Amino acid sequence: MTAVTTAPAPGRRLPAVAGTGLGMLRLLRLELRHNAMAWLLPVAIGLFWLITYRRDMGMPPMWNLRAAGLQSGTVVDFAIPVTGAAAWMGSRETRRRVADQVTITARARWARLLVPWAATTIWAMVAYLGCVAVVYGVTAHQAIWGGPLWWPAGVAAASLPAFSALGFVIGTFLPSRFTAPLAAIAAFFIIALSTELIHGGQSPWQVSPIVTGPWDLGPQASAATFYPFLPDLSIAQLMLLAGFTLALLGVLALPPGAGSRTARTAAAGLTGAGLLAAGTAAGLAGTGTMDAHGMINIPALHDAANDRPLQFTPACSDTAIPVCLNPAYASYLTVTANALAPLLSQIAGLPGAPTRIVQVGVTVQEDAREGIIVRSDSPRRGTPQPVVYLVLPDQFGGPAMTLEQTADQVVAAYDTRLVARITGDGPAASPAQNAVAAALLLAAGQGKLTTDQPPSAQGGLDTGQSPGVAPGTPEYAAAERFAALPKATRRTWLLQHLAALRAGKITLAQLP
Amino acid sequence: MTGARLVRLYAVCRRVPFAVLAIAACAIGLRLALLGHWDDYGALQLPLLFEAAAAVSVVATVPSPFGEQERAAGRWLPLLRPAVTVALTAAAVGLLAAAGTGAHLAGGALDVLRNIAGITGIGLLCAGALGGGLSWTGPLGYLVAAVYALYTQWHPPALTTPWLWPARPPRDVGGELCAGLVFACGVVVLIVRGARDRPGDPAET
Repeated sequence: MTAVTTAPAPGRRLPAVAGTGLGMLRLLRLELRHNAMAWLLPVAIGLFWLITYRRDMGMPPMWNLRAAGLQSGTVVDFAIPVTGAAAWMGSRETRRRVADQVTITARARWARLLVPWAATTIWAMVAYLGCVAVVYGVTAHQAIWGGPLWWPAGVAAASLPAFSALGFVIGTFLPSRFTAPLAAIAAFFIIALSTELIHGGQSPWQVSPIVTGPWDLGPQASAATFYPFLPDLSIAQLMLLAGFTLALLGVLALPPGAGSRTARTAAAGLTGAGLLAAGTAAGLAGTGTMDAHGMINIPALHDAANDRPLQFTPACSDTAIPVCLNPAYASYLTVTANALAPLLSQIAGLPGAPTRIVQVGVTVQEDAREGIIVRSDSPRRGTPQPVVYLVLPDQFGGPAMTLEQTADQVVAAYDTRLVARITGDGPAASPAQNAVAAALLLAAGQGKLTTDQPPSAQGGLDTGQSPGVAPGTPEYAAAERFAALPKATRRTWLLQHLAALRAGKITLAQLP
Repeated sequence: MTGARLVRLYAVCRRVPFAVLAIAACAIGLRLALLGHWDDYGALQLPLLFEAAAAVSVVATVPSPFGEQERAAGRWLPLLRPAVTVALTAAAVGLLAAAGTGAHLAGGALDVLRNIAGITGIGLLCAGALGGGLSWTGPLGYLVAAVYALYTQWHPPALTTPWLWPARPPRDVGGELCAGLVFACGVVVLIVRGARDRPGDPAET
């Protein structure tokens, strides 16, 4: 017998670059199929639902609030799962005792390690993009004005490769079964600690990716509604996260044997450049100041074009005196206008009555003694103006309120002020002026006429001057009598006698 | 003598000495953290982080490097597993409570016991369901949810379910019962089946 041997058929050689690319893609596909992050997606998505989605959907449908909530929330939601999964993948070779086997493969170590990092990041990014799509999709459906803010979403997206790189590097260099959970907790600790270290407006720690604006101010509904969103802090945060990611990935190629001399030199340069970018970003954040509109202004990154107010067509009610709000607040319009409507119908057309009630923004100021002061951004008072400027309570920050609570606060703050424009007020107001003011409030359905008004908080809504008419007094009796008149009669009398009333020439006895 | 050797070998292959070191490091970290001045958030959240770290260190000792072989041959395994885990949990509680002695530890030693036991229980349940390797996923996910629940105490609507026991006030019976129940269930799973071995998974150190 003759053994027949045939020479192996010559294989078709692929170009080296194409072969490397295809090999890496195949490796990536394998890593995607076996990546721990896929197992952790339910955890990340569950946390997103509990922490970010529920809270965001509880906020008014305003892009600025939802985008800020999305950034800070998703960074917290994904930090632990991504860091833990990446550390778990990074420590895999040693945990499974295959380090020797993979060391002799053709690929350089750093190139091989980049693939599971990329797979972890891709899984996290896919889940994150799904979360963004849900929040922004629902908001687009609900919001009446404005559009998605992509800078905050971009910062949260950039945090994923950074956390993934952090976990992966820790897992690679400290491989053990304890590494993944402890690295994830360490990442969470860093996030929590970063906000504890923020004191005042000019803190470099504001570069932390969960910070979306002046930390001491909290969620600010008026930010990015009357003026454009300032991306200054977001740019610094992106610089920091990109720098950290590059630096950490560069570290993978630094150890001896991780790659060729050229690759290691390049990695050292990459690490240095990344650290430089991160340090620069923190330094820039330290130069940031809170601007008058509640956003962080970093001079080196600031675009002066963002200081111009936004142009918009206000959303107005069809009440006797139109109430006009910024269209971002259009969801507040109906309930606010309905709450003010009874009084507006009483005073419309009277001398001193406004022609419109227009919402204005707020200015924010940091005071060394009093902390942060938020004030109405209305034009300075001087000559009587035909317009009353309105600030909604949500614009002052503080605890979230329902639409009804907001409307109640607006009524408490503006009804007495509107009446005072008609009757005149102040310490020198006559008993008749006070009685007529009280009567108008009574007729509008406000039975509470004494000075039992909510206190005016620092920077909060100014509740105006109450007529100060107590039950049982002659003024109160006159007020009840005047309020009981038919609306047309009351109105006719006011048109005829308002000038005399304001001049203090009408007595209580002369009131009908 | 043989029993002691068995325990020692079990402890070594489960990395128990490292777990003890990690727990001690958590206790030292907590002590150092308590030296600082934190706001209300920090005072409640930082101890929880160290408690969770100690709990996952306990849970990390559950996976077996031998898998099915040990399960088939180890007669004492159903006793060794809970004994070591409960001993480590007790050590974690003791060390962290000791670290808080003389400092302002929010909730005191009882909260340390409740939180570590409950989070360890979650980890044991995860080990039974997902395998020892990924047993840390549950405790860490729970940690984030608990920290958020603490946050909602200042930012309503508050999460007040006793299943998020770290956010419950000290000596809250509901929270303590939930944490105790989860720990008991975890120990039972540990006794009955230990960490799940997934077919095809290579042994891990």
